[in-house]
Amino acid sequence: MNGVGRSVPRVDAVAKVTGAARYPADVAGPELLHAKVVFSGRPHARMVAMDVAPALAVPGVVDVVTAADVPVNEYGLTMFDQPVLVGVGATGRSAVPSDVSRWEGDQIAVVIAETPRAAAEGAAALRVDWEDLPIVADLEAALRDEVLVHDETATNVYVHDRIRKGDIAAGWAQADVVVEGTYRLPHQEHAFLQPEAAVSYLDTDGRVTVEIAGQWAHEDQAQIAHALDLPPEQVRVIYTAIGGAFGGREDMSLQIVMALATRKLAARGIDRPIRCVWSREESIVGHHKRHRGLVHAKLGATSDGTIVAVEADAYLDAGAYNYTTNKVLGNLHLTVSGPYEIPNARIDSYGVYTNAVPGGAFRGFGSPQGAFVAENQMNKLAEVLGMDPVELRMRNVIREGSIGPTQVPFPPGVSMPEVIEACAQAAADGTDEAAAFSPIASLPSVGARIRRGRGFACAFKNVGFSFGFPERCEATIELHGDEEIERVVLHHAGADVGQGAHTVFRQMAADAVGVDLDKVDTVYSDTATTGDSGSASASRLTFMAGNAILGAAEEADKRWRDGDRPAVGEFRYVPPPTDPYDPDTGRGAINFAYGYVAEAVDAAVDLDTGHIRVHRVVCAVDVGKAVNPKLVEGQVHGAVVQAHGYALTERLVVVDGRIVNPRLSGYLVPGALDIPDRIETVIVEHPDPRGPWGARGMAEMPFIPYAPAVVAAIHDATGIWFDEIPLTPDRVLAALRA
Amino acid sequence: MTVNGTRYDRDVEPRTLLVHFLREELGLTGTHVGCDTSYCGACTVIVDGRSVKSCTYLAVAADGADVRTVEGVAVDGTLHPVQEGFWERHGLQCGFCTPGMIMSSVALLEQNPAPGEGEIRHAIEGNLCRCTGYHNIVRAVEYAAAKMRGEEPPAPDWEVPS
Repeated sequence: MNGVGRSVPRVDAVAKVTGAARYPADVAGPELLHAKVVFSGRPHARMVAMDVAPALAVPGVVDVVTAADVPVNEYGLTMFDQPVLVGVGATGRSAVPSDVSRWEGDQIAVVIAETPRAAAEGAAALRVDWEDLPIVADLEAALRDEVLVHDETATNVYVHDRIRKGDIAAGWAQADVVVEGTYRLPHQEHAFLQPEAAVSYLDTDGRVTVEIAGQWAHEDQAQIAHALDLPPEQVRVIYTAIGGAFGGREDMSLQIVMALATRKLAARGIDRPIRCVWSREESIVGHHKRHRGLVHAKLGATSDGTIVAVEADAYLDAGAYNYTTNKVLGNLHLTVSGPYEIPNARIDSYGVYTNAVPGGAFRGFGSPQGAFVAENQMNKLAEVLGMDPVELRMRNVIREGSIGPTQVPFPPGVSMPEVIEACAQAAADGTDEAAAFSPIASLPSVGARIRRGRGFACAFKNVGFSFGFPERCEATIELHGDEEIERVVLHHAGADVGQGAHTVFRQMAADAVGVDLDKVDTVYSDTATTGDSGSASASRLTFMAGNAILGAAEEADKRWRDGDRPAVGEFRYVPPPTDPYDPDTGRGAINFAYGYVAEAVDAAVDLDTGHIRVHRVVCAVDVGKAVNPKLVEGQVHGAVVQAHGYALTERLVVVDGRIVNPRLSGYLVPGALDIPDRIETVIVEHPDPRGPWGARGMAEMPFIPYAPAVVAAIHDATGIWFDEIPLTPDRVLAALRA
Repeated sequence: MTVNGTRYDRDVEPRTLLVHFLREELGLTGTHVGCDTSYCGACTVIVDGRSVKSCTYLAVAADGADVRTVEGVAVDGTLHPVQEGFWERHGLQCGFCTPGMIMSSVALLEQNPAPGEGEIRHAIEGNLCRCTGYHNIVRAVEYAAAKMRGEEPPAPDWEVPS
């Protein structure tokens, strides 16, 4: 009768197939005004003067918001290192000098007008004088420290994590074989289909209200309140339907500036809603990316395949502001040595400011970069040792009780061995060809000019917030009725970014209370009516919300039995606390839960064109308990295809701090003809002892091992190792002809 | 022009795009704008039986035409088989590309009632989706095609693990 474990249809499906679902750009209102955000367009420049008078003179322009209107002109999810608006003169107090543009997407003003066209004309009329500064174009330039992106730091290298485990010299002394590599990782653009948009107004209680598509309503509220110097309860954030996110909506885009716009007009007695809709180009220029980076890595093993030492120096290009770089770096730092128990490790990871687009959250959050290095190193090691790559992994893989690179045991529920075996088995089952993933040309060629190959990779990633961040999630459940429960109302802030969170919340609430699904009504994603859920990120919502819902149901049940009508249960779930990395050794219990994944890829390379076709992907992922198996499959398909773009087609070109191809015509997201022919999902259900119904997070996992699995398949086909992606035809062809 | 069976007579600026006319003038916000460069297909509508990208199609070019949008696909509150397919076969996640996908699929099935998987992929090639990975969209269209031919849709290839 209940919800968990069934592939029930999505709660939002009918609204989304009929066009009734409302995204931010669809929100209208009486006397709607329109806003245009003005970007600096300068990767590095000091503002000398800005004259808003010409903009105000444009017919239809109502007002212009500048830095002078920002009470506290600083923003940042994990550190305040970014001005809300760059400007000169009397700007609000700020932790960071606010007269410098440090990337082309720095915002300098918001023009409010009667029509979108008038707003655009007003923006074009703004007069700004800049003094251009030398541009720190990339990691290489930043590491020279000749020019600082932030004057207030002594070096562009502003964060450094360390791991020191065992005795690295002794490790190398034991090693019979050593594999070394230098890996270059590209930016990736989220390219969610719905560009940023928002509507702001004063609600009936006079609260500054922003309707937007985001990932964490209460964090948006907190950031707005900080910048506007308001108590949070005077700010309201409501999420409309959200057109994809993938981490790209975790930071502020329009949240703060739209609240500022409404507040400025309210002070003039103008009470009209304001809407802003970004173009695709504004979206690509205006939000962060998956970090580009550079990693030198070294892996040593004895001749029987026992890994004895690992070293790595990893650099992430943070871009102009931290966003979540310090946290993303932490994940790269942890995963760059892979899901293997290695007694001796020396890892240094650095976050580096440049004048490029900021790096930040994107599905996998540093783990794709880490796994790219770790898994390529493993596959190369297998080749050098002449071992099957699956066998090499099984010999070194982490197991229950294994000590990780941070010198403490992994949290209970380690299932990496089972996941590797499930994937290898499924990959062999579906074919009558040999199951081995090595040696070269394990699959027959197609004619003389098409070569086929097969590759394998695996990965792990944390579920939930890490490194000592205060993780929590709230839920409220109301039980209505008299003798028996007739109706259940779940209040939850968690964002449905497309993954289906609102569907599984409802399933879990039905199960937790013990009623049929159709008795459960829901109130979602409004800071005025729901408690703080934390973000839709880190593969955490099913795990965290499920535990919160279980707690709220238990509380409500207690009150129901006490005679309360309605019986209301409120609960805040708090998982075991985590530690930050020890600054010298990296020691610490940095995470409380993990997800595990493995993938096998069959691919073909056209030797004449360099074009790669992926025929078959097998993805085994441990979800603990599939609350909605069909939605799990949807995450696997979506993550694999997004990773397919990362591995093969998506190349963001950033030159001297400017994005050269900020359009979908030049930044190639995979289409229906580009994708793998078949994606097979193998759901492993090894319960997480702390997970609700045993569930663990999974939405990021299938992304993570895909690129190194493809690289291994291409090596299998051609004998060439690629240490840089994407594997666009020109890059493949150049290597084939070298 | 006629939109979803209703006739509208309006004076518009020559530079007005069809998508803006539909969204702003008629309030039909189910047609989405995803890229402004006719690359993503979120704005796909059907004009005189052909799927077009309304972000690069002038409203005046549709003068006198029969325009259909996602709002006009269901009949009397009953979902069109393509809509039902996207619902039944989990062919959507965030839903932003869905109206355009549905319109491209409807146009395909009106011309080709029994498309193969390759033909379906070709038909939706101009519609980007960042969430689903497309496989379930193809299944949704196969479901609809069978339904429209009066056949039992193929059984879902998904079994809930016991």
